[in-house]
Amino acid sequence: MIGKATAAGRTVRFAFLGLWLVFTVFPLYWIIVTSLKAPGDIFAFPIAYWPEHFSLENYRGLFGKADFGTYITNSLIVATVAGAAATAISMLSAYVLARFEFRTKSALLMAALVTQMIPAFIALGPLYLLMTDLSLVDNRLGLILVYIAVCIPFCTVMLRGFFENIPDALEEAAMIDGLSRFGALFRVLLPVMKPGIIAAFIFNFVNCWNELFLSVTLLNSDSNKTVPTALNGFISSFNIDWGSMSAAAVFTILPTMLLFAFASRHIVQGLTSGAVKG
Amino acid sequence: MPATSAITKTAKRPSHTRGAPPVPGRRRREFTTRRGLMIAAFMAPAAVFVAVFTYYPMIAGSQMAFRNWKLTDLTDTSWVGLKNFRDVFGDPIWGTVLGNSFLWVFGSIVPQLVIGFALALWLRRRFRFRGLYQALVFFPWAISGFLIGILFRWMFNSEFGVVNDLLEKAGLIDEPIAWLADPKTAMIAVLIANIWYGVTFFAIMILAALQSIPDELYEAAALDGASKTRTLFQITIPYIRTTLALTVLLRIIWIFNFPDLIFGMTGGGPNNETQIVTTWMIKITQQGDYGRASALGLLVVATLLVFAVFFLLATREKRGVKQ
Amino acid sequence: MKRRTAALALGSAAMMVLTGCSTMSPGKDGTVTLNMVESLTNPARSDLIKNLIADFEQQNPKIKVNLISPPTEQADQKIQQMLQSGSGVDVLEVRDITVGPWSNNGWLYDMKKDLGGWKGWKAMTENAVKAAEDTKGRTYFVPYGFYGLSLFYRTDLIKEAGFSKPPATWDELLEQASAIHDPAKRRFGYAFRGGANANSNATAVIEAYVADKVDTANGYKLTNGKPIFSAPEAQDALKTYLKLFKEASPKSSVSWGYPEMVEGFSNGSTGFLLQDPEVIATVSESKSIKKDQWDTAPLVAGPSGKTVQPLATAGWGIADGSKHKAEAVKLVQFLSQGKASTSFTKKNSLVPILKSAIADPFYKTGPWSSYVTMTEHPEKYLNVSQPRGVAWWTEWEQKADADVQKMVLGKMTPKELLAGWDAYWTKKWQREK
Repeated sequence: MIGKATAAGRTVRFAFLGLWLVFTVFPLYWIIVTSLKAPGDIFAFPIAYWPEHFSLENYRGLFGKADFGTYITNSLIVATVAGAAATAISMLSAYVLARFEFRTKSALLMAALVTQMIPAFIALGPLYLLMTDLSLVDNRLGLILVYIAVCIPFCTVMLRGFFENIPDALEEAAMIDGLSRFGALFRVLLPVMKPGIIAAFIFNFVNCWNELFLSVTLLNSDSNKTVPTALNGFISSFNIDWGSMSAAAVFTILPTMLLFAFASRHIVQGLTSGAVKG
Repeated sequence: MPATSAITKTAKRPSHTRGAPPVPGRRRREFTTRRGLMIAAFMAPAAVFVAVFTYYPMIAGSQMAFRNWKLTDLTDTSWVGLKNFRDVFGDPIWGTVLGNSFLWVFGSIVPQLVIGFALALWLRRRFRFRGLYQALVFFPWAISGFLIGILFRWMFNSEFGVVNDLLEKAGLIDEPIAWLADPKTAMIAVLIANIWYGVTFFAIMILAALQSIPDELYEAAALDGASKTRTLFQITIPYIRTTLALTVLLRIIWIFNFPDLIFGMTGGGPNNETQIVTTWMIKITQQGDYGRASALGLLVVATLLVFAVFFLLATREKRGVKQ
Repeated sequence: MKRRTAALALGSAAMMVLTGCSTMSPGKDGTVTLNMVESLTNPARSDLIKNLIADFEQQNPKIKVNLISPPTEQADQKIQQMLQSGSGVDVLEVRDITVGPWSNNGWLYDMKKDLGGWKGWKAMTENAVKAAEDTKGRTYFVPYGFYGLSLFYRTDLIKEAGFSKPPATWDELLEQASAIHDPAKRRFGYAFRGGANANSNATAVIEAYVADKVDTANGYKLTNGKPIFSAPEAQDALKTYLKLFKEASPKSSVSWGYPEMVEGFSNGSTGFLLQDPEVIATVSESKSIKKDQWDTAPLVAGPSGKTVQPLATAGWGIADGSKHKAEAVKLVQFLSQGKASTSFTKKNSLVPILKSAIADPFYKTGPWSSYVTMTEHPEKYLNVSQPRGVAWWTEWEQKADADVQKMVLGKMTPKELLAGWDAYWTKKWQREK
């Protein structure tokens, strides 16, 4: 950025950045502290900002009683497979939408936008019946299929932006060299679009990892539950156990947070070359 | 993927390489069967998924909006015309719900946009630990709305919550505030949680857009001696206007349709003070009145659709200028 | 289901393209798998049921049981969805408030014939046998136990405040709770119910105040045929109740439902809690209060010294869509008799269904003794049927919960609330005729 920063300007800037950092990170800090307090201490008064007695009791309970490991595994499987499949499928549709003009194009884009407007609750009942007919209720594959459908619209629009930013010349050259269009897409465009694809996958993964209402509806057995479903069970059944809740929350946040932390530069870089162009 | 293997063959010699040169500004306008097939084949997987798992359930759900469809009594599911819609409009809390929904959307989006913008502007410049800083402040977007609701419910707990404790220590309040139980403060609390969550998305999108602005533009502005404010309004904002408009539109749709956080934090209470259209829909669904819930769902889609069309029309011209 | 065929075909196609065929394995070697769904889920109880299932599977090697435990708040909705789809559920938890609508929709199987010669009936208490039949003599569920209210209290806190014994009436409760209440120290008198199901406790206090005139066949009706909400005593009841909120309850309890109340008591911050016996198990596991710091007392009474025990029940039933009804009946029988039933009611702290269990010394000691006191004095703790099976029950609960919350927030007076409730039930009963 151009223009010399004045001392006052810099102070304001860093004060703002500092304050925002504290505001953002504090809830995370607080949930970790809560999870590490001995169960009896959580409601001690006055409130302790640092655990008096460190305890892993809450975590032990989580993996002992609640089989949290299974939930995490399920979530990882579902989010990874659905996220990757949705990215792959969206690449095809995004490519077409970026490279060709055709009559139904704006209708298709509008249809993608409309999917974002549909409240999940209008579709849950019929979706459940549909999945029953497909024998996909209480089945991770069923959830994966639905998640793919959920991810596709936004992912397509996002990837379309990336394609538009890549000059046609690149693949035209490749096609003149004898590659098919599909081949050109894979061998020439894919490597160029890597940051964009990573960004798209991460958005998908995070969406699937966090989705609640569909998973609560479509999964029944304990052995199939994903993390948000289990968390929802924790809060609503019997009594709110803030200790195990916090421990569960830490475990739920960790994977996506690490993913975001490692990839945040990729995301911005990926988006820089795409989506935002609309 | 068997469905796609056929395409590789049909698309071998793309038609656009010969014939009339492409119209400038528009891409390939020729119509050939091959081209049409290819478009169809590339679009098919996405279209099938969305049609089967999103549109079909929605349309099937929509018909319930015009029927007496109560899970508590399915012996009579006759068509009732617009009765469910009348019931929604006639409900005494409809006004509250509608007002809350708009407060929820705009009370979230304005601060999210402003803070997100500021964050992006300041993050565009390099400074030490910028990568680490970015990783730390962007993480809220990675958490589920429901979980955020629960985290903030715990922090805003009136008896053992850390928010009250901090405010008391700072001498700002004398006695604990029952944040989530007091109709006056509940909405503020859920808005704070949503702002915490949503700034990231704006920051990421805007930061990405800012980075795509060529440095030469700023250099030229600096040569002209333009002030910072002028640079901001005459270069930065016009350049990323499209991103801003689309991000705002998408976020408005998402936030309107985002019951998760409120569901986890207050469940719409107390006394419906944080009840928005979509949380209300959950509540009605839980009562088993699928007809009324579907009517409400259709209203949501219709409202957002009308809004989106107006929004797109209003921002269209400006986008044209940019491109 | 023709409407779904097209979508189905498309869906199958999408599935095959994407993943290849998924394999479905129907039971080989004649093993039957039963899906069993619970509704009032809590982790400790789910473990208990799993243990019982293990015993059952050992006795019946050809039957496997898959327990499904949806979170309580969504459980009934989830079960409805499963029942409507006609598959995925064989045995399920049916509650007094769900049996009406579900059987009406044809979702439940009438076990009357299958249980005709069953020996289990003889071992059951009169209440249990009665609860197993609906008004038309059909058996849609066999109760596993009863839920009733008792007063959980902190022995140490009331002593500190200078009281020698727990409150016996609502007025005494108000007095003791106010004495304990000290928000600055984060100590509260009463775990008020202002959120989900707030109506239940509000009607409990009203019923206590009108206990002299209540119709024993319908706890919402006076002997003169009018709703209990029309009685002048109902106003006194709500005034006391409102004071209990204002002077002795944490502010946040405006939105407290079951989980928050139980947590409020078991985290040691609240002195009194009105709850079901199953909470005994939870409170016993509390890390914040020890065994000698709390106890239970019988449900508090109105000014006449009498009160109404609003018994609620739930049990095990069979889905009409089940393809394995014979095996399902076996499971229901197993759960409703002998050791399985006794250990379920004991560990889940319910009022038992078996005569033998009531004689068990377990129910005569500790927190349980107050339940014995209540059953031994039916003249004081009236056994009154609640109209929980009516078709409009869910609608009523929603309305009543909202009204109670409005009242405690000061947006409605007790008088307005009662007038509304009076009109509501009068109208419903008139329409019924």
